[in-house]
Amino acid sequence: MGIFDGIISGFSIALTPMNLVFAFLGAVIGTAVGVLPGLGPAATIALLLPITYSISSPVTAVIMMAGIFYGAMYGGSTTSILLNLPGEAASVVTCYDGHKMAQKGRAGPALGIAAIGSFIAGTVGVIGLTLFGPPIAEFALSFGPPEKFSLALLGLLMAVALSGDSVIKGLIIMVLGLLLGAVGIDPISGKTRFDFGVTELQSGFDFVTLAVGVFGLGEIFYNLEQQGSAEIVTTKVGQVFPKMADWVKSRMAILRGTLIGFFIGVIPGGGAVISSLVSYAVEKKVSKHPEEFGQGAIEGVAGPESANNAASSSSFIPLLTLGIPSNASIAMIYACLLIKGVKPGPFLIVEHPDVFWGVIASMYLGNIMLIILNLPLVGIWVQVLRVPYSILAPVVVLFTSIGSYSIANQAFDLYALIAFGVLGYVLRKLKFEAGPLPLAFILGPMIESSMRQSLLLSGGKFSIFVTRPISLTMVVMFALFVMVQMVFAIRRARRSPKIQKTV
Amino acid sequence: MKQIVISSFIIALVAALIVPGVALAQDKFPSKPITLIIPYAAGGSTDLLARAVEKIWPKYAPKPLVLINKTGGGGVVGTEFVVRSKPDGYTLFMGYGSGSDIVMPHLQKMPYDPYKDIVAICRLSVHSVVIVTGAKSEFNSVKDMVAWAKKEGKPITSSVSTAAGAVDIALRGLGKAAGINIVTVPSSGGADAVTMLAGGHVMIGGGHPSEVMPHIKAGRFKALGVVLPDRDPSLPNIPTLREQGINVSTWGSVKGIGGPAAIPKETLAYLEATLKKVCEDAEFKKIMADLDQPIMYQDSATFTKFLQQAYGDYGKLIKDLNITIQ
Repeated sequence: MGIFDGIISGFSIALTPMNLVFAFLGAVIGTAVGVLPGLGPAATIALLLPITYSISSPVTAVIMMAGIFYGAMYGGSTTSILLNLPGEAASVVTCYDGHKMAQKGRAGPALGIAAIGSFIAGTVGVIGLTLFGPPIAEFALSFGPPEKFSLALLGLLMAVALSGDSVIKGLIIMVLGLLLGAVGIDPISGKTRFDFGVTELQSGFDFVTLAVGVFGLGEIFYNLEQQGSAEIVTTKVGQVFPKMADWVKSRMAILRGTLIGFFIGVIPGGGAVISSLVSYAVEKKVSKHPEEFGQGAIEGVAGPESANNAASSSSFIPLLTLGIPSNASIAMIYACLLIKGVKPGPFLIVEHPDVFWGVIASMYLGNIMLIILNLPLVGIWVQVLRVPYSILAPVVVLFTSIGSYSIANQAFDLYALIAFGVLGYVLRKLKFEAGPLPLAFILGPMIESSMRQSLLLSGGKFSIFVTRPISLTMVVMFALFVMVQMVFAIRRARRSPKIQKTV
Repeated sequence: MKQIVISSFIIALVAALIVPGVALAQDKFPSKPITLIIPYAAGGSTDLLARAVEKIWPKYAPKPLVLINKTGGGGVVGTEFVVRSKPDGYTLFMGYGSGSDIVMPHLQKMPYDPYKDIVAICRLSVHSVVIVTGAKSEFNSVKDMVAWAKKEGKPITSSVSTAAGAVDIALRGLGKAAGINIVTVPSSGGADAVTMLAGGHVMIGGGHPSEVMPHIKAGRFKALGVVLPDRDPSLPNIPTLREQGINVSTWGSVKGIGGPAAIPKETLAYLEATLKKVCEDAEFKKIMADLDQPIMYQDSATFTKFLQQAYGDYGKLIKDLNITIQ
C-alpha cells in the first residue's frame, strides 16, 4: 500500500465518529494534564490503560493515548508562561522567556505563539513521520552510547547559554544540578549514591519536583517577601493575541525549532527536553538581539515550544516502525498494543495497516483539534493573572503539592518540593539564574551513563568518541562552539578597554 | 412494663445496628480494588505480565486491580513500598522472584529481607535469559561465539538491562563457564538494552523472551541460546547453553506476586486461588502467548520452596564467579 493510499485509508479510519470522539477526549485530557504540574502524560496513560481494554479496537485506544501524549505538550507551556511552573520536563525552557513575557503583560502573545508554534511543529512532525519514518528510525538506532554522550554534552554546553549575565554563576548552578542528578542508584554499577540511608532517595530526586520547586515555589517565596513594596505580578493583561510583528519574528524560530525537535526527538532517551534546550540556544545565537533572551524574547518561546511538539511527533517513529518505545508514555502505548494482540514492529504496517495509518491520520486531526481548543483558551488563561496574588499563590502551592505527591504517593516528595522551593528562593536572592539547574540535573546522569557505557564498549579507549562519525560530528560542533565563544569574548574584551579589571 | 419494652426495643435496635456492622467488618475480601505495584518500568516484561493479569482478573474477582509503576533501585523501591504497607492483602507487587529478590541480596545490603518480610502468593511465569545477536552476525550459536572469542582473543560486548540483574549475571556466568571475556554493558532497562543491540553497538545482547522475540520474529535478531536448565516452553526451538556444551544455567527472572509477610491466611488462599483461575483462562493464555511469556503457575507453598532453591543457586553461581559490585 503506497503512502498516498495509506493516508487516505488512515483518514477514513480516523474520521469515524468513535475515533473522533476519542481523539478529542485524549486531546482534552492531555491538555489538562499538561497544564497541571506534577501529573505527567505517562502516569495519566498508565491510569487510563484499563479503560482501553474495554475498547475493542486497538486503533481507537492508541488514538486516545497518543492524543493525551501530544496534548500534554500543548498544555505544558501554559503554566510555564503564566506561573513559571513547568508542567513537565520539556516545558522548562519555555519558563525563561515565557514567564518574563507574562510579567510584562504579554502573556497572551506568548501563549498564542506557543500554541501556533506547537501546531505547526506537530503537523510538520507528523508529515515527516509519514514520509520519512523508516529511514529516520534507522538513523535513531545508530545513536549508541558514544553519540548520546556527545549529544548530551552538547546540550550541557548549550545550557550555559541560559546562564544570563554571569557565566561563572551559570557554571556554579550547573555543577549544583550535576550533583543533584548524581543522587540515586548508579546505573552502571548498581550502587546507591548520596542517599544518606533514605530509601526514597535511592531513585534520586524527581525532575518535576525539582523544576516546579525551584522555579515555581521559589518565585512565590521570593514574591511573598516583596509584599507591600511594589506590584508583584503585573495585572496588566495587555494584548491577548500575538501581533503581526511577533509572528514575523517567530517564523524562523518555529521552523528551526521544528527541525531540531523532529530529529532529536527520534533518539530514544533524549527527546523533547534536549531538543527544547538546543532550540533555545540556537535561537539565542542566531538572534540579532541576543540580549533580549531571558527578558522576554518571543523567539525564546516559539522555538522551544515548536521543538518539543515536533519531538513528540517524531518519538512515535521508533514505535511504529521498529517496535521500540522512546519514552515512558510511548512505552505505555506499546504495552497497550501488545495486550491487545497488536505487535508494534517493522511488520506493523503490513499486518495492521489500519493501526499504523489510523494513528498517523488521527495525529493530524489531533493537532487541529488542539489548536482549535487552545487558541480561544488563551483569552481565558490570561485572566488567571488577574487573580489577586493573595489567592493565586496559595492555590498554586496547593496544586503543585498535590501534583508532587501524586508522582509516587510519598510524603517525602512534599518535603523535597519545599526544600527546592527554598533553594529557588535563595538562588533568586543571590541573583543566580536558575535556568541551567534542571537541565544539568537531567543531562548529568545521561552524560555519565553514556560515557561509561561507551568506555565499556571500547575497552577503555577514549578514541571511541571521535572514531564514530556521528559522535565525531558533535564533538567537532562542541569544539567549534567553544572556540567561537572564546573568540567573541576576546574581541569584546579588546574593544572595550574599560574592562581591565581582572577578578 | 413500659420500661422493659423500651429497653428491649433499644437493645434490639442496637443489636440490629451492630450485627450488620460486624458482618461488614468481616466483609468478603476483596471489598475494594487491590493495588498491584510494579517495581519496574512501563513496557518491560514484568509490566506487560501485570497488565495481562489486570485484564483477566475482573472475570474472577468482584473488584479490579489497580496497577502502579514504582521504579527505582532495580526493583527495591517498589518492593519496599509493599513490604512496609498494611498487610491486609490490598497492596501487593508483581515480580517477586526477580533479580532484586534472588540475586541482589547476595551482592549488597537490602532494606528488607526478601524471604522473611515477603510472603509468596504464587508464581506466574519465569522469564528466562535469551542470548541474541543481530541477524547479520557471523555467530549462529553460542558455540560459534565462544570459538570466535577464543580465536580472536577479543572481548565480546553484550548489552544487558540492569547492572547485577538476572541478565547481567547470566551473561557473566556464561563468560566464566566458557572461559571467554564477556563485557556486559548495563543500560536503563530491557527496552534500552534491546535498542542498543538493534543499533549494532554491541555484539550480543541478553534479554527476556518478551523483549527479544518480537525482534527475532521480525528478522532483526537471531537467538543463540537460552540460559535455563531446560528449554523455555515459549521458545521450544532455542537450545539451552547446557545442550551446547556450556555448563551454566540460571533461573532468569522469576515472576510471581508477593505481599507483606503478615497477610492473613484466608486472604492469601483467596488470592492464590483466583490467580490460578486467571492462569487457566483461555484469553489469558492467548495474551501470554502473544507476549512470548510462558505460564508457569506455582501455588504459595511450592513457590516459596522454589525461591529458596533459586536463591541458593544464584548464591553458588555468584560465589563461583566471584562477582561483586565494584
